[in-house]
Amino acid sequence: MCGVPTLSARGGRSGWLWVVLLATLLVAPAIQAQSDCPDISAITPAPVFQMGTGFVTTFPGGTPSLGPLINPVLLVPVGSNWLIEARGDLESSIAPPPGGGGFTGSLQTNVDYLQLDYIANKYMTVTVGRFLTPFGIYNERLYPIWIRDLQTDPLILPIEGGAYGASTGAMVRGGFDATSSVEINYAAFFSSNSTIQNLQSDRAFGFRSGIFLPGPRLEVGGSFEHLLQDYRKNTFGFHFEWQPRPLPLDIRSEYARSWVGSGYWIEGAYKLSQVPVWRDALRHVQMVARMQQFYEGPGWEDGEPWVNTNMFEYGLNYYIRDDIRFVSSYGRQFAPERGNMNVWTLGLTYRLAMPIGPGDIR
Amino acid sequence: MSQHTKISGTLVLAMGAFLACGAAIARQESQPATVPATVPTAPAASPAPGPMTAPVSAASAAPTSSSASPGPAPAASNPSPAPNVEERGAMLVEGEKRFATNCGRCHQSPHHFPPRMMATVVRHMRVRATITDADMRLILLYLTQ
Repeated sequence: MCGVPTLSARGGRSGWLWVVLLATLLVAPAIQAQSDCPDISAITPAPVFQMGTGFVTTFPGGTPSLGPLINPVLLVPVGSNWLIEARGDLESSIAPPPGGGGFTGSLQTNVDYLQLDYIANKYMTVTVGRFLTPFGIYNERLYPIWIRDLQTDPLILPIEGGAYGASTGAMVRGGFDATSSVEINYAAFFSSNSTIQNLQSDRAFGFRSGIFLPGPRLEVGGSFEHLLQDYRKNTFGFHFEWQPRPLPLDIRSEYARSWVGSGYWIEGAYKLSQVPVWRDALRHVQMVARMQQFYEGPGWEDGEPWVNTNMFEYGLNYYIRDDIRFVSSYGRQFAPERGNMNVWTLGLTYRLAMPIGPGDIR
Repeated sequence: MSQHTKISGTLVLAMGAFLACGAAIARQESQPATVPATVPTAPAASPAPGPMTAPVSAASAAPTSSSASPGPAPAASNPSPAPNVEERGAMLVEGEKRFATNCGRCHQSPHHFPPRMMATVVRHMRVRATITDADMRLILLYLTQ
C-alpha cells in the first residue's frame, strides 16, 4: 500500500534514516517520486481563490470593538511541481475612542505571505519569497479565522511569529515517513531584513521539526529562531497536538521563550457529536477551553503583553455548515500590573473557495 | 474620523456581498463532481462529504469482487496497469483514514470541490502542513471520488 514502505523497512537501522535524509537533501532535484501511490498526474490543478472572512466583536473590559476581517488567498499551480501562493490581510478594529463618541477605526492591510514553492521531491519543498515564519503550530496552521477555535490570539503569538509573523527569504520544508508509524516534518529558513511597507521582516534564521504519530494522532515538536539584527536574541519553543482517536477532541499546546518573555497556552476543543441526545443539533456544536500564562522577560517589543498575565477562556462554536460558523467566547484576563478584565467575543466566520481562470474545472 | 467610518462601512458591505456570493457559489459547487477519466468509477459512490457528515465508510469504499463494477477491467498485458477495483477501494479507505488523521487535525471536512480545484488545495496543504507525499496522493484520491 502507498506509503507503507518506509525508510526503516528498506534500510533496517534507524541510523540509515539520517544518512538517507542527508543524501536526499543534497541531491534533492535528482530524486523522482516513485511509489505505488495513486497516480494523480491526470488531474491538472487549477488556480484557486480562497477567502477567510469574519466579523468578530470583542468586548475587552466591557468596551465593544468591532472587527471585520478579510483574508484573501490566491493559489496558482504551475506545472506539476510549482505553486505560487499569496495571502493578504485586511482588517479593522472599530471602537469608540477613550473619551467617548462614535465608533472609529482604520483599515489595516498586510501581505501575510507571497511565495513560490517548488516541490523538489517527496521529501522536500523549496520556498522563496515572503512566508509565514515556521515556529510552533499556531502561526502557520491555526491562524486563519475560519480554523481557529478561539478568536483571540494566544499571548505568546508575538514571540513565536516575531514582530511581523512572516519572513522574507528562502525555506526548505517537508514531511516523510520515518517508519510505518512515525512521520517527521521539518522546516528551516533564512530571512533577510525588509523595511518595505506591508512586507516587513527581520534578518533571522531558524528551524522547526515535529514528530507525528499517525496511530494515536499525536505530534510533538520544537522550534528555534535566532535574530541576526538588533539584540540578536534567541527564541525557542515546543508544541504538542493530540486528537485521541475515540473522541472528537482536539488538544493543543505551545510553549515559547525569548528575551521578551515566555509563556504557554493549552487548549481543548470538544465536538458534541457523540452526545446521545439531540444529535442533529449537537453535532454542530463545539466547546472550547484555553488556559494561558505569560511571564515578562528582561526585554520588550511592540505588541507584547509586557506584563505577567494569566488568562482563561471558554468558547462555544456552532457550525452552520462546514464553512460558516458562529463563534463566541468568554475569557477572564488577570494582569495585576495592568488590571484584570473580562474579554467577550461574538462573531461569524466564513470560508470561500472558488476556481478561477478559463477551462473546464472538472 | 468620517473617512475611517466610511472605510469600515465599505469593508462590512464588501463582506456581506462576499458572504452572499460565496453561499451561492458553494451551493453550485456542492453538486457531485465528475471523476477523472483515468480513474475507474467508484461503485456505490457515497454522497459528497458535506458539513459534519461521516465520510465514505470502509464498507462502501472497498467493494468486494462480487460487486458490480462499472469501471473497465485492467488489461493483463498492460505494463503499467491502473489499480484494480480492490486496490483502488483499499486506497480510498486509506485515503479517508489519512484525511481524518492529517486534515482533521486543524479543520472540518471541506465541500466536495471539483477535482482540479482539490488538486491545488491539496498541493497547498502539502506545503503548508508538511503532509507527506504518500498522504497527499491518497487524500487527493479520496477527495476526488
